[in-house]
Amino acid sequence: MKALHLLRTQETTSARAIGVVLLTAFTLVVTFFLPAVADSQLAGGAAITIVILGLSWLIGWSGQISLGNSGFMAVGAYTAGIWAHHHNTTPLVVTFIFAMLIGALSGLVIAIPSTRLRGPYLAGMTLAFSAAISPLAQNFTSVTGGEGGLFFNELTTPKWFLNFFSGPNATINANAQWTADLSVVVAGVMFLVMANLFHSRTGRAMRLVRDNDVAAELMGINLPLTRTLAFVIAAAFAGLGGALYTIINATVTPSTFPLTLSITLLTLMVLGGIGTLSGAVIGGIIYSFSGNLVDHINALTGVNPASNLGANMQGIIFGALLILTMMFAPRGIAGLWGPIKRLKKPSKRLATAEVVQ
Amino acid sequence: MANFLASPFMHNVLAGLAQGVLYSLLALSLVIIWQSTHVLNFAQGAMAMFATYIGMTEIDRGVGYWWCVIISVLVGMLFGGLAERVLIRPLYGKPEINPIVVMVGFLGVIEALAAAIWTSTTRNITPPFSQIYFHAGGQVILLSPFVIFQIVLAIVIMLSIAALFRFTKLGLQLRASALAPEVARLLGVRVSRMLTIGWMLSAGVGAVAAVIIASGTFGLFPTNMDGIFVAGFIAAAVGGLESPIGAITGGLLIGLSEQFILSYWSATLAPLGGIIILVVALMIRPQGIFTKNVERRV
Repeated sequence: MKALHLLRTQETTSARAIGVVLLTAFTLVVTFFLPAVADSQLAGGAAITIVILGLSWLIGWSGQISLGNSGFMAVGAYTAGIWAHHHNTTPLVVTFIFAMLIGALSGLVIAIPSTRLRGPYLAGMTLAFSAAISPLAQNFTSVTGGEGGLFFNELTTPKWFLNFFSGPNATINANAQWTADLSVVVAGVMFLVMANLFHSRTGRAMRLVRDNDVAAELMGINLPLTRTLAFVIAAAFAGLGGALYTIINATVTPSTFPLTLSITLLTLMVLGGIGTLSGAVIGGIIYSFSGNLVDHINALTGVNPASNLGANMQGIIFGALLILTMMFAPRGIAGLWGPIKRLKKPSKRLATAEVVQ
Repeated sequence: MANFLASPFMHNVLAGLAQGVLYSLLALSLVIIWQSTHVLNFAQGAMAMFATYIGMTEIDRGVGYWWCVIISVLVGMLFGGLAERVLIRPLYGKPEINPIVVMVGFLGVIEALAAAIWTSTTRNITPPFSQIYFHAGGQVILLSPFVIFQIVLAIVIMLSIAALFRFTKLGLQLRASALAPEVARLLGVRVSRMLTIGWMLSAGVGAVAAVIIASGTFGLFPTNMDGIFVAGFIAAAVGGLESPIGAITGGLLIGLSEQFILSYWSATLAPLGGIIILVVALMIRPQGIFTKNVERRV
């Protein structure tokens, strides 16, 4: 029985791996046909997807709300930025691993006081953390570059990749696409890692802690350890996402990661679907092309994009969407799939745990 | 005496207290909402900011300062009531993350709307009090008529809230609804109405803080309450979210700590004062310094 169970887990893991590889490959093919601007947007979205994966894990699976993920992103971004600034020749993978480790460390620092806190206390504590990052970055000027931030040139498109391109804007197109492809691959790898985490023993323990911490404790799950682990993993993901984000933009300043970014992350996660893998990808895609969407809405409603209203349209729409989704479709876009599936197969009851009722 | 009041130490104490009362007001407003509905209102600062903008436009139309204060507070109360009825009421009994997310969304909408309507430029409301510091024996004392007004108004608001809760029938009903909603309902208290009134009171207190801030050197801009909210939340959390006295003490403590960091260490690091206090306080007593001990164990 146990062996059968193990076999099934392995099977689904490999099936999952194949699915992710296919999806990543498909996205890579798509980048060939996208214009350079869209490729750059996609790269940013891939970085954000990684952060949302961590946030979804933290909020959706461990039930701990965090408004501090922009802070964890900033930690990863500054780690990568400072490192890339001084050691320009370091392989990218090493920089990313550094960012993840330091991000995880910051998660541990926040988790230790935070795991004793519930709901609103936790939200406020993490909010205070992300509010503290900008003053810190502004103060230690010699390390962080202060208000002006750091600039570096980490991403170099390899020669063989450049050969695919010709024409007047060959280099620009090649750079944009190389950035997008790289980001998509990193996001794909992290997606697979998170997918396995979701279905791992730790992931199941995490859900039990979320749904019924008394039962979890009775079953011998170490509550503080599990909650701390949730934070550390989420922070590592956010750190990597932040690092990727900075490497793409080749700059990091204290204003890159404002408090509002935490709100944006939360919005994207809720829109996509709390605690779902596909929701994180949907959130990333929305992030990538939200600018185009807002331009489109401005054009439809005849609002001048340069006007005050036009410039703040994104904030208004995002905030309103967050409220409406939470009130009327709390399981987000990924959650819409459930009822559709149930319509098809009315006899088979879904055994999925309700994340948000 | 003049020498003492003008000493660097007293400079810091006075400036810290002046800032601290504002944090205390916001913390108090958060505690009122928490007590009545167990929601942490992340849009508290932003709602107050928006109400102050509406008061400011009335000043532009030629009304006096005091009318602006009254209008801001009334509009703030209206917002508070509406937020409770429309956004929070449907979410009672849902997981506690839901109202947090909704209010975070509301925060985003209000700040973007304010920037869309009034631009992000810093505005000031001119108060009818001088902002020039007193002098005594050739030395500056960090007190101006405006600072005294700020502190006195904050204290008056705090005392009237305390009196309202302690000595009036409404206050009794509010406390009863918070403490034992079922029993209160059986005894004829309109509990749901009390919840709305709690939100209105709270938003009114928040609006007072926002008007004072807009009248001072900090000024009024769409995100001007963000930092104040974080400090106010920390103050409330240090006090335990349940305790008005704790919230007020916490606010003063954070105001002072920020001022001392600013003066002896670094101005950019000042916001860290509150965070250090929060971490230390939560390590010692996760349920807040001023709450009665309620163990949450298996």
